[in-house]
Amino acid sequence: MYCRVFSAAIVGIEAEKVTVEADASAGMPVFEVVGHITSQVREAQARVRTALRSAGIVMPPLRITVNLSPGDIRKEGTRFDVPIAAAVLGAIGRIEAGRLSGVMVFGELHLDGTVGKVPGVLPGVLSARAMGMRACIVPAENLNEARIVRGITVIGIRELGDLLTFCENGYIPEFPDKGDEAAAPSPERDEPDFSDIRGQPVMKRCALIAAAGFHNLLITGPPGAGKSMAARRLPGILPALSDDECLEISKIYSIAGLLSGDEPLMRHRPFRAPHHSLTPAALCGGGKYPGPGEITLAHRGVLFLDELPEMKRNVLEMLRQPLEDHYIRISRLCGSCIFPASFLLVAAMNPCPCGYYPDRERCSCTDEEIRVYKSRISHAFMDRIDLQCAIRAVSFEELTGERRDEITSEEMRRRVECAAKIQMERFRGTGICFNSEISASDMERFCPLTPESGRMLRSAFDRMAMSARGCHNVLRVARTIADLDGSDMIREEHISEALCYRI
Amino acid sequence: MRYVRRGDPDFPERLTRYPAMPAGLYLIGRFPEPEERVAAIVGSRNCTPYGRSQARRFGFALAVRGVGIVSGMASGVDCAAQEGALEAGGRTYAVLGCGADICYPASSRRLYDRICSGSGGIISEYEPGAKPLAWHFPVRNRIISALADVVLVIEAREKSGSLITAGYALDQGKSVYALPGRSTDPMSRGCNALIADGAGIALDPEQVLMELGVEMRSADQGEDPDGWGIRPAGKAKDPENDPDPERAEIYRLLDPCGITAEEIAERSGIAPERVSSILIRMVLEGYAAEDGNGFFSKPV
Repeated sequence: MYCRVFSAAIVGIEAEKVTVEADASAGMPVFEVVGHITSQVREAQARVRTALRSAGIVMPPLRITVNLSPGDIRKEGTRFDVPIAAAVLGAIGRIEAGRLSGVMVFGELHLDGTVGKVPGVLPGVLSARAMGMRACIVPAENLNEARIVRGITVIGIRELGDLLTFCENGYIPEFPDKGDEAAAPSPERDEPDFSDIRGQPVMKRCALIAAAGFHNLLITGPPGAGKSMAARRLPGILPALSDDECLEISKIYSIAGLLSGDEPLMRHRPFRAPHHSLTPAALCGGGKYPGPGEITLAHRGVLFLDELPEMKRNVLEMLRQPLEDHYIRISRLCGSCIFPASFLLVAAMNPCPCGYYPDRERCSCTDEEIRVYKSRISHAFMDRIDLQCAIRAVSFEELTGERRDEITSEEMRRRVECAAKIQMERFRGTGICFNSEISASDMERFCPLTPESGRMLRSAFDRMAMSARGCHNVLRVARTIADLDGSDMIREEHISEALCYRI
Repeated sequence: MRYVRRGDPDFPERLTRYPAMPAGLYLIGRFPEPEERVAAIVGSRNCTPYGRSQARRFGFALAVRGVGIVSGMASGVDCAAQEGALEAGGRTYAVLGCGADICYPASSRRLYDRICSGSGGIISEYEPGAKPLAWHFPVRNRIISALADVVLVIEAREKSGSLITAGYALDQGKSVYALPGRSTDPMSRGCNALIADGAGIALDPEQVLMELGVEMRSADQGEDPDGWGIRPAGKAKDPENDPDPERAEIYRLLDPCGITAEEIAERSGIAPERVSSILIRMVLEGYAAEDGNGFFSKPV
């Protein structure tokens, strides 16, 4: 007998439909799985056979052949255990095949018949809805995640028995659809606040501009000056995510297996702070079957690289292209995928190898040593950093003294939202959201200069030996500063402030 | 490059007066003329921006008056002083701790090339191709001081090669001048110690010129293309008395050793966006300088 069940494989950040076919016929009792599968999928036959027995189903002595099609997509992981089991149950006549038509199935099987969670359920359910499926069967642990998707029935199963119940009755009584509850907004996360940082007004100003225009930021300062603290607080002042953006990020995190079970929809911008020892593949994504890297996990959020000069040169240089294009194409042996990578880069470094320049009591680094240290970061990379600020160590008095009125994250986010609204109006219909994405050809249209500011930019261009890209970056930052100021034109003070953050 | 033996007519006569001088020197370019007035300007390699600008200022002002500048071509003070001399169209002599055919440090390449192309001389007691070994440098300092009529120390730590040069100069009976610094500044401790021991206080190039018996012409005061040396009087309004109080305050806070925009904003209480905007304008107008690491100072 023949039976067919639908499931999905992950390609890049999208789910592709996979048909799991099973056939049971007379012959030597063999269980065979074919269809361009990895060894994880091949091992499914052992799990499925044992799990079926644990669920009290006796396998008749038939030759069972399972095929996963289309044959040109590599099927990876344990997500196909449950669909294979379902197809086999259909093939041996244990369940009625028609019950599972228009249903997409995911899940890993344990030997005792219980169903374990798998990554990539969210994109799977999304593509099931797009294909017009009527329902999805997912592991109970993935149920909250699957319920993010509206307009399709999702059923959570804890064990193979639940699958049988569903096929007999059409529903599983223990898991009523909770409706809107799962999608209700989560309470405000307890984010760290900018008011925790004492002083450092210029750094906070740079953080504000970076958040308002999605500009990359480099903070230089001695150890313990608050560089990491500022970076950690940056996601909290970025404009709120739209529903589509939430879903997009959640999809990426679902594939990476990083979604939290209780609160699956990512309503907050991600913050990624990989250690400086990371490899090119960990940063940009990769693997034999390309998977997302840190830059994709930081999509629409903040990627924080501490100790920038300690990172390997080849790793840093890989960032150049995604910083410009906001996506990355990974081509590997088994395929080529595009991953989104529109992130805000915050980098931090010490001013010199020992970290204490210009305090000559503690620092005896020579100019040459400082030059060598800084030259670990290529000029081409630095050119892509829009904002730079040098900060100094906090004194004991400031640390313990009376707290001044520090600007709060809430106040900063309010100003960022205002600037974001102006940008949204300006870029309506152009497909971009932030000033940092203005293309060179649109520069004149979006960044009108007064005669004075034009003159200032010109003299700075000559005196500071700027590149064309550098000049455009100054204009983009100046545009954001003008937006924060509520000004249509970019005035002289906006240009000069932007210039100050470039040196 | 040529090798000049002691006894050759070209061999600088001033070297023969002191003991422990080499039997011959390798030379690219020329030696100081016997009647030429020569000042050595030496100091720390990792000097402050203030030290660098002062070295340049003294090098420029002395060279304008025809004084040859001798130094060691090291990065920092040495290099700045010699570049200042070349900017003034003067002559400068570099005594190296390696073969005269080797440009060490490599960062002084421009200076080395300009000296080679006729603006002074590259001098070494070591064979061509000799490596810049650490012990060469304190030894070559005796030649620097012997070639000079006066030794000026710009910035030096408590233990510094520049103090070795000053020591040689005293042994050779020459005057030593030192640029005074703040008592707490580690880069000025060597200079302040020299002054405490009786060295001349180099407040202005005039004192050194007087020591050398060179007259100061009032016209020289104006010759300063980059605003490094003495700022020409009445060139522009004094930013310290600027009608804009924020601008005046920021200018006042500019530290000779460099200060970040962050610190200016904190100390003055001026909004960070104003500080950044005003600072960059002052840099473009030449009232402030930035050292490439985000530290601003007054160009002296």
